[in-house]
Amino acid sequence: MEMLLMGLCVSMFGLAVTAIAFKAATRSKSTNSGAPAEVPLAKTVAPAQSITGRVAAASTGPPRQIPIELLLLQIENHVRQEQAAAELFVEFPTHALLHSKTTSPFVN
Amino acid sequence: MTYELLNGLTHAEIEQALKLGTPQIIPCGTLLFRLGDPADRLFLITRGRIRLTAPIQVRGQEESILTEEISAGQTVGWSALIPPYVFTLTATAPLETEVIALPRAALQEYFAANPAAGGKIALNLAEVIGHRLHLFQTMWLREVQRAVEALSA
Repeated sequence: MEMLLMGLCVSMFGLAVTAIAFKAATRSKSTNSGAPAEVPLAKTVAPAQSITGRVAAASTGPPRQIPIELLLLQIENHVRQEQAAAELFVEFPTHALLHSKTTSPFVN
Repeated sequence: MTYELLNGLTHAEIEQALKLGTPQIIPCGTLLFRLGDPADRLFLITRGRIRLTAPIQVRGQEESILTEEISAGQTVGWSALIPPYVFTLTATAPLETEVIALPRAALQEYFAANPAAGGKIALNLAEVIGHRLHLFQTMWLREVQRAVEALSA
């Protein structure tokens, strides 16, 4: 029993050391590189005000653009999600469903 | 196969209406019609699927963006019955698709000769167009709401 507890303690200590080391390594990479941290994929096209605005923002955005194939896929997924939300509203018209949220990166 | 455009018609009326059309196989990846083309026929989808797309500028180049997908039993190309008889979207088959092409001229003759059946088809068409209108009105309102929220943020 004591051996088991000792083993558990050692494992937890090892895990904590690994986590601290990983955090330190990633922090130093983002602060030392000088370049802005990579924006998550879902946020690269988010800040503008409309779908077309966001696409335009993506076209004039930072040098690290997402591949156009991926962007087109995101647009298509956005349209599908919006259409599904609209279908639901048309079937059950309520104020809440009219402006229900989707998981599309274009609106989050 | 049941077609939304022919809902409520008798068996004989459906047979008559379908005889006005020509079955067509649209190979995978092939255009059915292009935005701006004259719309002289509408299509009933027997099997497969049709993608309706519109051009949008993405990073300085024109891309076809999906606006709607139409599947078996549904109607595509109703611009053929509504002036100015011009397609406003581009239709492509993403897989081998079979349609029945119904020419406007033949349909108009059929409606004149069979006003009862013509009335039912017109109401079905109104339902198809009305559904599309509701969908796009909703999508537009959602987009306007987001624009308002972004402006007032």
